[in-house]
Amino acid sequence: MKKSLITWIGALSSAAVLMSSCASDPDSPGLEYMPDMYRSPAIEAYVDYGEVRARIDETKKVKLTAMTPPQFSVPYYGKDSALVDMMLPYRRLPNQLMKSTHGFYGERLSAADEYTLASADIKNPVMLNEKVLEDGKKLYASMCQHCHGEKGDGNGPMVTSGAYSGVPNYMEEPRMKLSNGQMFYSIYYGKGMMGAHRSLLNKKEIWTLVHYVRSMQYKDYLTAGMVSDTTQKK
Amino acid sequence: MKIAKNQRVLNNLSKMVLSLLLIGLLSQNSLYGQGEALYKAKCASCHQIEKNGTGPMLKGARQRWMDAGEGDLIVEWVQNNAALRNSGKSKRAAAVYKEYGGSVMQIFADITPDQVNAILDFADAPPVAAPAGGPQGADASDPNAVDAEEEGGISTVWWLLAVLFIVVILSVSGVRRQLKHATEETTPNNSLSYWEEFKILAWKNRAISGVLGLVLTIAILVLVFQRLGSINLMEDYQPSQPIAFPHSQHAGVNGIDCKYCHNSVEKSKSAGLPTVNVCMNCHKQINGKDAAQQEQIAKIYAAAGWDPNIKPAGAYTGKSKPIVWNKVHVLPDHVYFNHSQHVVAGKINCTQCHGDMKQMEETAKVWPVEELNKVEGNIALTKPTLTMGWCIECHGKKEVTIGDGSNAYYDEIHQRLKKNKKLYQQYLNDGKITANELGGWECAKCHY
Repeated sequence: MKKSLITWIGALSSAAVLMSSCASDPDSPGLEYMPDMYRSPAIEAYVDYGEVRARIDETKKVKLTAMTPPQFSVPYYGKDSALVDMMLPYRRLPNQLMKSTHGFYGERLSAADEYTLASADIKNPVMLNEKVLEDGKKLYASMCQHCHGEKGDGNGPMVTSGAYSGVPNYMEEPRMKLSNGQMFYSIYYGKGMMGAHRSLLNKKEIWTLVHYVRSMQYKDYLTAGMVSDTTQKK
Repeated sequence: MKIAKNQRVLNNLSKMVLSLLLIGLLSQNSLYGQGEALYKAKCASCHQIEKNGTGPMLKGARQRWMDAGEGDLIVEWVQNNAALRNSGKSKRAAAVYKEYGGSVMQIFADITPDQVNAILDFADAPPVAAPAGGPQGADASDPNAVDAEEEGGISTVWWLLAVLFIVVILSVSGVRRQLKHATEETTPNNSLSYWEEFKILAWKNRAISGVLGLVLTIAILVLVFQRLGSINLMEDYQPSQPIAFPHSQHAGVNGIDCKYCHNSVEKSKSAGLPTVNVCMNCHKQINGKDAAQQEQIAKIYAAAGWDPNIKPAGAYTGKSKPIVWNKVHVLPDHVYFNHSQHVVAGKINCTQCHGDMKQMEETAKVWPVEELNKVEGNIALTKPTLTMGWCIECHGKKEVTIGDGSNAYYDEIHQRLKKNKKLYQQYLNDGKITANELGGWECAKCHY
């Protein structure tokens, strides 16, 4: 009798332990129906390969699946030679300072002040038309507006909320006289406090943005035709 | 809703503080105001007031020049730094130039000495920053934490009570049985086991035990199927994350578009997590208002390899390490989902599936369908988020604009639809084209 009571208590307590171990792990999405169909054998972006079928491999947990392409690789952009030309690697290099200010490690750096040299690049390779300005407006809204403001006056919500300061006004003299090439350079590699935006925007998109910023600075930018050098226009 | 209320109160508070500040600013003398305007227009893109940035901080700049014994030269320096440097009469000019690695300051020939002084006056006595945002997170999360603790406490208490009761019942019945056996010495069933006694009892009351057995079987079956049906339901799933990233601050208060950080959403299958360089675009300057924020932002710095303590204004060290985020919206490999298709061609707003992240103070979670339905502009659905029923329901309701020439693939489908008499009649009846009419319910569209 005594023995059976102890067995009962033992069985009950082990059942309780089992039950409580069923309480879900907050970091696990839960049971899977067919675990072998859940994770692709080919590497997919943002999938944790550190745990496959309950086997945990810590080294794979911190392996990046989102990688930067190998250096000097050129993406394929079809057969349109103008587009391909535009998308070829940017010939201006970041200058040496940018190694520690913008984190450009393992890259070719230039000893010269390439930003000043970029003032010679006056041609915007994207043909200007209404569609380009429309695309530019969309890109500007998602990529620039939070700091530079809807009107380009440097009063975006980031600045008005007091989180960030020191965003320049596009409508002022030095910025209005910048060449297209310098604008491109600033967006591509960053300038001052602004970081490089080349990981977010491809070269065509940056040139589109340059068009759009010009159209904010000069109201008759579209109608005045393909005026690439606005310094002469002023 | 509690959170929304809190935020409203906070918003009102911050508005009050702002307006007080404004009144305070207006009452100051005009030269001070001029200094602020000039600072914002001419200096702010490179100089911050209380922190070294691209250039040195302006607070105490005049004092530093005076300490170097060249207090009167600072005006010349601001007006034309290159000329002063080249003239060789100022040691301080050469030193600053060297300290900032030879980055060149712009020339401000049109600025007057009075204006320079106004800027420096403003820099030495800047307005006190409004203490906003600090208690926000703590206020909202505290009651939740208490709730969770209480719940956990109650459920364990119940389990303990249940075990206790079962033990008591069993021991009492055991004692009762022994007593019974002791009194009924003549019964031949003395050696019967518990199980045999139970069988006899059940047979005696077979009507009741039959009904009970049936109810028990059905209950177990229902529970089992419910449990099976809830496998892989991920509503409210919110794994822990390495960095406490407040979406409400970034997308809400600071108005950053979703696409700035999740920037591959229009180009790729996955929406993309921002790389650390995107964080650093702002966090190079923003390093947190209080200790809690600074602790979180320090994790970004560690990941990016940014050391804010390197003189003069912080620098990258080149030693980076990845941030390991926990995946929130987990779709199995056997279903294909493409963000760009839904966002670009389908023109679906992020909120339809991810909810209103502008309101969410934490990183991210799988929003339950009831909460998604409350978001303005969302198509109301009934099936749990991220299940196949949910996808299919939306494919049956979402109207698609096709045939406007914006997408060649959908134009082709449009041409074919015109030949399908049944669908065409349906279109004439209800006047809309939904995703399923384009083939959004075909198995192979998502499973292949």
